[in-house]
Amino acid sequence: MSGRSGLGLVEVAVLEALDAAGATPDRRHRRSARVLAIVEERIGLAPGYAYQVLTDLALPWKVPVPLVDGHGNFGSPDGDPPAGWRYTDVRLSPAGQVTLAAERGELAPVPAGLITGNTYQWGLRPPFRPTAVIEAIRQVLARPRTTGPEITEIVGPPDFMTGCTVTGDLAGLAAGRPVDLRLHARVTITDDAHLSARIDGNAPGSWFKPGQLNRTVLVIDNFPPTTGPAEVARAIASRAREPQWAAGYPDLTRRARLPVQDIADLSSCRGGYLLACLPEPDADLDELRQQVSEIEGVTTRLPAALPRPLAKTIRDWSRSWPGEDLAASLTVLEDAIASSRLCDG
Amino acid sequence: MVLAAAVLVADGVSLLLVGSAALWLRGEPVTVGDVDVVIEPGRENLRRLHAALSGVALRPRDIPAPHRLAGVPVVTIATSYGRVDCLLERGRRDWARLREAAGPVAVADVSVLVASADDAWALRRRFKGPGG
Repeated sequence: MSGRSGLGLVEVAVLEALDAAGATPDRRHRRSARVLAIVEERIGLAPGYAYQVLTDLALPWKVPVPLVDGHGNFGSPDGDPPAGWRYTDVRLSPAGQVTLAAERGELAPVPAGLITGNTYQWGLRPPFRPTAVIEAIRQVLARPRTTGPEITEIVGPPDFMTGCTVTGDLAGLAAGRPVDLRLHARVTITDDAHLSARIDGNAPGSWFKPGQLNRTVLVIDNFPPTTGPAEVARAIASRAREPQWAAGYPDLTRRARLPVQDIADLSSCRGGYLLACLPEPDADLDELRQQVSEIEGVTTRLPAALPRPLAKTIRDWSRSWPGEDLAASLTVLEDAIASSRLCDG
Repeated sequence: MVLAAAVLVADGVSLLLVGSAALWLRGEPVTVGDVDVVIEPGRENLRRLHAALSGVALRPRDIPAPHRLAGVPVVTIATSYGRVDCLLERGRRDWARLREAAGPVAVADVSVLVASADDAWALRRRFKGPGG
C-alpha cells in the first residue's frame, strides 16, 4: 500500500498508465485496451486482471470517489459486467489526477486509499465518507491534541455509496480489530402516493400502476454494494412460492415462506434501485418487514479490518508532511472530488 | 439461519449439520455466521441437493452441476436464508462416523441431524484454529 495515497500497487499502476496514455481530465478518453497494454508493459499484469481494477475505480457505486472517468457501458450495480476493454473508454478523473500527483510527490499526500477502501475488490478495508476523512485530518492539523475517540467520531462509520446501513462492532473496526460488519438495505412500508412519487411515473410490465393501488407495499432500496434488486427479487420470489413440502412441514412453511403476492423492480434513473413487494392481503406487515430484512442480500455480512487503528492512521497522516502543504493538498482533493462527482452525473 | 438446513432436509437432502450452527443448537455459546452441512455421499442425494439449492440460491449459476458435486470438496452457496457451506469431501470421508454420533434436533417441525458437540468442536478446531 502506497504511503502517499494509501492506494494499492495495481491501482497506482492503472493511474500511471492512464497518464502515460494521455488520458487526463482535460483531454479526450482513451480506449481501455490501450491503457491496459501500458499496465501490462509496466508491471506485467494481464489485461483481464487490470481491467477489473480499472473499471472498479470508475464505478460510482463501488468507490466513493471515482479515480477513473469511464465512458461507455460500465455495467450496473445489479451485477451487469462492463463491456469488454475494446469497447470502453477511460481517462483520469480530477480526483485520480490529484491522487497521481500526490503519488509522484508533486503534492502532499492525500488519503485516497482510506476514503476508497478496498472492499470493492474483496479486501477488508471499507470505504469512509470523503468529507469526514478530510475533516478529521484538518481537525488534527488545527488541534494536534484531538483525541482518538474524537477523530473516530468525526470520521464516522464506513460509508458505502449505495446508502446501505452499516452495523456491527464499529468500535472494534476503528480500533483495528477484524470484525464482521453487516450491511442492510432499507426496508420500508409505504403507500401508493409515496411510491409513485419516487419512480418515473410508470412501471411498464409490472403490477404496480401509479395512483391505482389501494394497499400498502414493502419497498426495498439502498442495497448493500454486493447485491442488487435482481438478486433480492429472485430470493424473495423463491421464498414466496408455496414449497412442495408445505403440507408435510406446516411450521417450517410458516417460518420459511414469505407472504408476498408479487414483486416489481421499479429501478429508475430518478428513484435509483428500488424493489416493491406486494404483500398478501392478510400478511402481518411488521413481521413481513422483519422477515424481508433478514433475507440474504437485503442484509449481507462483510468481514472488515483496518491495518491500524483509524485514529492513529489519521494522526500519522497529519504528521507526515508540513501542515500547510497537507491542508493545501486536501483542498485540491476536495475540489477534485466535487469535479469527479460532477463527471459521474 | 438454521432454517436453511431445515429447508434442505424438507427437500429430501440427507445431510448433517456441523459448524457454529450445530454448536448453537447444542447450546454452546457461539455466534452463528453461516450454516455448514456435511452431505451424505451418493448420486441420488447430490441430485436432490442440486435441486434444493437451485430453489433457494441467490445466484443459481454458482451451483455446480450434479455430476461435479461428486468431485468438489466444498460448495458455498448464498441462499435467501444465509450462506450455506456444503462439505462434500468431509461427507465422502467421514459420513458414517459423524452420522453415528449425531442426533436429531427439531428445527421448526423438521428433524435435522446435528453432529455431536465433540465432533462439531473437533471440525471447527481443525479448520478454523483455536481462535476460529
